Amino acid sequence: MDKDAAKDSAEDAKKTILDYCLRKGALAAGVADLDALERIAPPGHRPSDLMPKVKSVISLGVGGQTQGAWSVPAKAMGYFGSTETRAYTIAYGAAFLIEGRYQTPAIYCPPDMDNEKGPRVPLQSLKLHAEVAGIGARSLAGDILLHPEFGYMYFASIFTELELPPDQPMETNPCPAPSCVSMYRQIGRTPCQKFCPVQCLSGSIDEDGKQAEMHYDMAACAEMSQQYEAVPAMLAEAMAAEDAQGREDALFDPDNKLLWYKMSVGSGGLLAQCFECMRVCPIATQAPQADPIRRSIAQTNSGESD
Amino acid sequence: MARGLNRQQIGVTNAMVDSYGDLIFQLSHNMQTRRGDPIRELDFAAIEASRAELGMSDGQIAARVGLSEPQVMYIRNMMERRNFNTRHFQRLLELGGGKRFREERFTNHADRFEYHEDAIALREAMTFAPDRARHYAEQGWWADDTMSGWLAGHVSERPDAPAIIQGDLVINYADLGDRVDRLAGGLHGLGLGQGDVIAVQLPNIVEYLVSYLAIARLGAVMTTLYMPHRAREFETLLGHSRARALICLSDAGGFPAAETALGLELPKLQSVIAIGAPISGAVAFEELAGASASADKLKLPLPVAADPFLLLYTSGTTASPKAVPHNSHTMLGNARLGAGEHQLTANDVIVSAPPFGHLFALYSFHLALYTGAANLLLANFTPPDLAATVETGKATALFTAPAHMAACLGMGLFDKHDWSSLTLAILSGSAVPADMAHAVAAKIPNCAITQLWGMTETQGGLYSRPGDGIDIAAGSAGHPAPGAEARISDEGELQVRGSMLFPSYFDNPGANDAAFTNDGWFRSGDLAAEDDAGNIAITGRIKDIINRGGVKYNPREIEDLLDGHPEIVQSAIVPMPDDVLGERACCFAVATDKNLDLNRVCAYLLEKGIAKTKLPERLVLVDEMPMTPTRKIIKGRLILPELPQT
Repeated sequence: MDKDAAKDSAEDAKKTILDYCLRKGALAAGVADLDALERIAPPGHRPSDLMPKVKSVISLGVGGQTQGAWSVPAKAMGYFGSTETRAYTIAYGAAFLIEGRYQTPAIYCPPDMDNEKGPRVPLQSLKLHAEVAGIGARSLAGDILLHPEFGYMYFASIFTELELPPDQPMETNPCPAPSCVSMYRQIGRTPCQKFCPVQCLSGSIDEDGKQAEMHYDMAACAEMSQQYEAVPAMLAEAMAAEDAQGREDALFDPDNKLLWYKMSVGSGGLLAQCFECMRVCPIATQAPQADPIRRSIAQTNSGESD
Repeated sequence: MARGLNRQQIGVTNAMVDSYGDLIFQLSHNMQTRRGDPIRELDFAAIEASRAELGMSDGQIAARVGLSEPQVMYIRNMMERRNFNTRHFQRLLELGGGKRFREERFTNHADRFEYHEDAIALREAMTFAPDRARHYAEQGWWADDTMSGWLAGHVSERPDAPAIIQGDLVINYADLGDRVDRLAGGLHGLGLGQGDVIAVQLPNIVEYLVSYLAIARLGAVMTTLYMPHRAREFETLLGHSRARALICLSDAGGFPAAETALGLELPKLQSVIAIGAPISGAVAFEELAGASASADKLKLPLPVAADPFLLLYTSGTTASPKAVPHNSHTMLGNARLGAGEHQLTANDVIVSAPPFGHLFALYSFHLALYTGAANLLLANFTPPDLAATVETGKATALFTAPAHMAACLGMGLFDKHDWSSLTLAILSGSAVPADMAHAVAAKIPNCAITQLWGMTETQGGLYSRPGDGIDIAAGSAGHPAPGAEARISDEGELQVRGSMLFPSYFDNPGANDAAFTNDGWFRSGDLAAEDDAGNIAITGRIKDIINRGGVKYNPREIEDLLDGHPEIVQSAIVPMPDDVLGERACCFAVATDKNLDLNRVCAYLLEKGIAKTKLPERLVLVDEMPMTPTRKIIKGRLILPELPQT
């Protein structure tokens, strides 16, 4: 532990680490209550399952999309999924900062799937970390986290054996927005529910304008956002084809050929969300600092500079 | 498999997947329900209570269901595989950029339109030599021409311009567009769609053109039946074309067309659409024409130029019909390229003497639709009606067969009516007698007379141009249309190829083998001669050649002379078998003098300088000749009677 760090209290250390994250480009950062995470996450996916001596879980979020991205056709939006790598980079840096400054083990929490459980089960829920750390709240749009100031973000987490004072979940959930409540009162659906291409969202809003129920067909949603099962499905389809023409169609129709192409260059299939629920979400698109243009204006108005 | 173990090691059976699969799928994260917002307040009791609905881990499900965790993992993954729909991603393709998903607008791919096998078979006939297709596209001879596109352009740019004139009725382009749009929607409502063949048997009335355009808008294919066609032709042509619908009159001059079609054994024919009195079992045309769900409202896909949209029969209404498919490339490209050659503009009023069932009439319509000219309709040709229509409708362009003009000349109609509005008369459909062409030119001196040679297979292949002068027009069919090439074989046969040429006969391989040379030129079957200026004159038909003991000659010049005989109205010379010479010439004639005999005919020909070897050796007088709709004699139907020589 370096000399300065030795003098740091837990509060100071927390501030140092979170400031680092914000300085490196995170819009929001917080520390989740480890006990809460351990109680909420299912066995095998608790922080201690990944890092047995973990004492703190730090969560950070980076901006979702640029404002221009919302005008892009959906088929192209499917590729707008690399924003999260900015969050991962900051988390990696923060883990190095913690170990270097406080000489305490830290890890960048891998965002990947649990290869024992299959492609839809993550090792850890970054979303849960962020929500408990108070930098996002579950929305009616399939529990995508939203923030009243920054809209929706991509998250990354750092685990460390350094004990840091936790933050609390956000007091108020920004979802549903007043305009969504108004729409729900008129047609019984919110924008995200109405415009989901596979109608994977449904639910209700109570008399106070709060979320009452959220139903999410994750299987249907996954079909829109990921093509990881397309290759075996395509091969199965080809094998089952009645004739050579059918086999050729199954393997070389334009959609499937695109997948072969992407496999051949090693970039994988589309892995981003389909974003249609966020495209119509007033919080994701119109929160005061939802995109770089709005953030720039907000900073200018508050006298800050970027 | 789960943890690298196989099914036997895990102990999973198909029965287990079938029994527990749905339960595990629902309990897993695949289906999630969250009640309230318990994490907001870290309400652990509520979180725990809702865990099952939020989606359980495999271990939690295993404990709940009574299976091992690997078994749950395996079954869950199998169920995800079974429920996964790789085609769902297609739902995104038309979204974004301001376009939002709306359930009512979305049709699952599995439920989308499919071409039926007959339509695919017809499209198979649209096979062009790749090097020719590339050449035509590179030259711009094939472009994005569709009748729907042309019509939409006029509706947008000059909606009030007259499109169709029939008597006192004037339909402008906006109205025509609306009628077409609604009828296309109505036809769609009958289950007709892209690639379906729809037959039309109508005179040249408004409903014909509206039907034609609506069929084209639908992406369907029109096939035509001539008005004289009856049950026998219906059965053959509707059957061969695999027509799914027929648009016809309830009563075609005493012929119950709709009822006849309904009474035939035609399993492909789904709908008979009748114009006129209601017919039991038939759909009323008016009902479809008033459809509220128009093609645009239904967002029916627009046709494209490569789609077949016309299937025309050239001959053979019995055993081996020759069906000629055309797409917009071949058919409409020819009209687009020809409009300027014929000097037609949007200010023209075009009238066709032949029926729209014949390609020459359709060509006139294509030219009008491309230029935005008005179509002046003549429902059924009679010489007086044609003269009156030209006069009252102030036609500027006339598409006519020589026989039509001959009849008008014979009845003195050029003197009784005002034809002075005409600036162009295109003669086609059969050989043009030079004297007749000169005579017409003399009657309407300010009108350019031109001659066009074409076939159903080629549309406008050769034509003289308005500036060529009457001598060239009377003596030849000019030179090739833009995009067309012509050559004359050693046997004297005219052969053509080009962007206007059909690709092959539909469902008639025997005819295809005979129709094309090894290097891809189309054998017209016509004899031709080319002058020094490149003008090509049609001199006869190859199959009409008389081979008399090894001496071959073209009977056309004899026929031309006989048509000038004072007592002969029409003549046709055909070969008759002969044991000694192989063939001799037989002359069929329609004569005003029923006592006309062979000696008088031969004396007349000798007087005209014809060699004795070319004299006909038998004369058969007939009351009338079998004729095509363009008034061309069908020699194949002239049967030698078992009668002593006249």
